[in-house]
Amino acid sequence: MRYIKKKSSRIWIYLALAVYVVFCALPFYWTTMQSFKTVRQAFARKPLFFFKPTMQNYQELWIKSTPENFGFLGMILISAFVLFVILMVFAKRFRMPTAFTRSIGMALLLFTLIMLPRVVDTAEFYDYFLNSVIVTAGVVVISMSIGSVAGYALARYSGIEGVVIIIIALAFRALPRMAFALPYYSIGQATGLHDTYLIVILVLTAANQPFTIWMMRAFFAEIPKEIEESATIDGLGPLAAFVRVVVPTAWPGIISTGLFSLLIAYHEFLIVRVLTQSKWTLPVAIVQFTGGEAPGHMTLAAAAAVSATIPIIIIIIIFQRHLVKGLTGGAVKG
Amino acid sequence: MKRKLFFKFSAPSNLTMITLMLIPLGVAVFLSLHFVTFVNINTPKFVGLSNYAAILTDPQFWQAFRFSMVILIIAVPIQIVLGFCMALLLDQIRSIFRGVILALILLPFVVVPVVGTLMFKQLFEVGGLVAYWYRAVFNQPFLFTPTSVRVLIIIHLIWYVTPYPLVVFFAGLQGLPESQLEAAEVDGASRWQQLVHIVIPFLRPLLLMTSMILIMDMYRMFDSIMVMTEQNPMYQAENLMMYSYRVGMMVQRLGRANATAILTVLGVMVVLIPFLRITYKNQMRNE
Repeated sequence: MRYIKKKSSRIWIYLALAVYVVFCALPFYWTTMQSFKTVRQAFARKPLFFFKPTMQNYQELWIKSTPENFGFLGMILISAFVLFVILMVFAKRFRMPTAFTRSIGMALLLFTLIMLPRVVDTAEFYDYFLNSVIVTAGVVVISMSIGSVAGYALARYSGIEGVVIIIIALAFRALPRMAFALPYYSIGQATGLHDTYLIVILVLTAANQPFTIWMMRAFFAEIPKEIEESATIDGLGPLAAFVRVVVPTAWPGIISTGLFSLLIAYHEFLIVRVLTQSKWTLPVAIVQFTGGEAPGHMTLAAAAAVSATIPIIIIIIIFQRHLVKGLTGGAVKG
Repeated sequence: MKRKLFFKFSAPSNLTMITLMLIPLGVAVFLSLHFVTFVNINTPKFVGLSNYAAILTDPQFWQAFRFSMVILIIAVPIQIVLGFCMALLLDQIRSIFRGVILALILLPFVVVPVVGTLMFKQLFEVGGLVAYWYRAVFNQPFLFTPTSVRVLIIIHLIWYVTPYPLVVFFAGLQGLPESQLEAAEVDGASRWQQLVHIVIPFLRPLLLMTSMILIMDMYRMFDSIMVMTEQNPMYQAENLMMYSYRVGMMVQRLGRANATAILTVLGVMVVLIPFLRITYKNQMRNE
């Protein structure tokens, strides 16, 4: 609508928005404060706003004992991490395909994450974090590779079967998670897949598909048909045309959709809780800290909550545009 | 695209989706007719419909059903209206603040739901900021009681989900028919009239679709309620998902829990079927 120019009205607009933003941000602010306090400070009768921050909670959460001999392996890990950052930031400057450089970077990061416990004596929380990384990566890779081809097919095919599949997907998307989690508990017990990464990744991928194909279909529909037509004239088969010609032009949409399937996998509590015993991911691990009777739990819970949120904040900062596009483009977040 | 190629391309996704989602539904129906605990998980005992009978006569089930409905009736309208108002206000911001505000508003929606609930709850716990304000204003400590927990859950759901309709409406506002608005203005229509006669009708499809999605999502909300109630039925703030989780995973009556899940699936059909019909019509029009 038309821009409101009147000064007094604009002040009200800003004020209303400010109140809402404070409402949104207050829990984050407070938990972050609590996570840097000692237990005593956190339970102070009058809330403390100014205090000497302590890293004690984070240390207790992530590390069992501080490393004394941070030798050769430690240096390798640090240099691997630095190399990862360089590769990711300057990916476009190298004389290699950007995707290739980025995947080397990701491999280095994975290497660092897996080798870290050999160098530093990490606490259990680190294992939960690794589980989260494994499950999320598995779900995103499988879900996007089968989902984007299907989304493309749905966008290009005009028969009634396409609409029927889309409608079935929407119906699946609306079903309560409980209706899958419980039967999969029994299926897992019967097949011996209970408490494996495999079953969690498979179930989450399936639960992700409806929304992935909806979103990918919407994004591919915006890409003109002429692109792959000219590719087929050049002698490429349909799959090769898709991979080499269509996918590169569809990157923004793929990133948006990938982000949401990443968030869905990273967020999942119920399915992971029901289907695993030892391979808990971060959300399941964090729930342990709630409702504990020991007072130390509160500051630990705060540190755990902040730790699990940092990756999300990085994602918002880097991909805000894609997130908004995904929310509105697919419009069926699951 | 040819039919054969279409099936070839979409098969991996469709097979994964349909088999991995239809099989458990079938298993759920099967288990709901049996007596199953963790002990006899591989040798269920057939008991017919008695699980359903047990649920439908369980006052806790009806309690959960009532609270599920209360959430829908209170939370969804507030989320839609608040989201719409804030989208209108945000649309008025044209400076760099727009991006900053949008990022902050998105936070509750993209944070891990369990973590978001935990953070929200910490404000009200001993040593929490809002608990302190509450004590300062009402001169008594904030207590977690059945009523206060239920109110907290609803406020938390508003905090958590409102960013979604907000962003959708905000994007919708960017596509408003400017020429119509200008014409209305020339004719002397007030801002309010423009809103009622042009903006809202234009956003109607979005409003309808978002409401349906919110209704289905609020109905199957789980994480928020689990953290807020600490899995404790004492607060009488369970919804249907929480009820079936507790019956299944804590009381170990898997048959009964599956029966509850089947009943909730039947319940969601009430909203789902009209929604599917609308979507089907829209899709057919687009083809």
